[in-house]
Amino acid sequence: MSSGTNQLSNWVEEYTDDLYTWAYHKLSNAELARDFVQDTFLAAVEKMGTFKGKSSPKTWLFSILNHKIIDHYRRKVNQPLKMENQSFARFFEDAGGWNKNQLPHKWQYEDDAHLLDNDEFNRILRQCLDALPEQWNICVKLKYLTEKKGEEICKEMEITPSNFWQIIHRAKLRLRDCIENNWYSG
Amino acid sequence: MGNKIMHILLLSCSKATELMEKKFHFKLSITEKIQLELHKLMCDACKRYEKQSEIIEEGIRSEIQSQQNNVDLDTESLKTQIKEKLHKL
Repeated sequence: MSSGTNQLSNWVEEYTDDLYTWAYHKLSNAELARDFVQDTFLAAVEKMGTFKGKSSPKTWLFSILNHKIIDHYRRKVNQPLKMENQSFARFFEDAGGWNKNQLPHKWQYEDDAHLLDNDEFNRILRQCLDALPEQWNICVKLKYLTEKKGEEICKEMEITPSNFWQIIHRAKLRLRDCIENNWYSG
Repeated sequence: MGNKIMHILLLSCSKATELMEKKFHFKLSITEKIQLELHKLMCDACKRYEKQSEIIEEGIRSEIQSQQNNVDLDTESLKTQIKEKLHKL
């Protein structure tokens, strides 16, 4: 056991709570957050030689963690998508008008400001989100997970803005349709 | 809105709904804003889509927020696990 790992053991005691809270906040998944915090410390061992003490250990560890989180999302966002795009043709005619059988219908309580307090509606929303392809699911959530603006998200994800909002467009069409099929009509 | 000339002036429904989604993340140009407003005047289906899309957007936001607030800060087992891994290196 080197003095480096001793030092790190102290940092584990000191910074794990903050790192975990942050990771959980950004990943919204306890298991992933634990893995990311652990990987952060394992990466820190290897990089120990490059830590000059110019920044605080906490700042340094957070920068390692943040890189890992962005890298994780970047890989998910850029994964090649199978035939999912085909669904676009389901919603619109070639000329761009709604397909007759896909016209949005009124939802029950859509005018009610408390619709989002309805447990059943939220359950359906969660279920519909989970049913999306992983890439789409992440794209619709990134704004709220990262708390960043579109341009910045696209830069970090190495994706063009038009590509980003087109993915979201497809995802939201699918979500809206899924909710409509499971929720009560108005 | 099946008319092709109308689509060029006032957007097709696929384009209009695309701009509605773009608007959540990016600024629309003046032209896009006008096209979108005109389209909504003519098209009840897209107006409904926008309303429902806003509900979904707010739902995603609050869903993530409530998950984030659920953080379980029992990290003792995690600390032990990490320290064990470090010592095995």
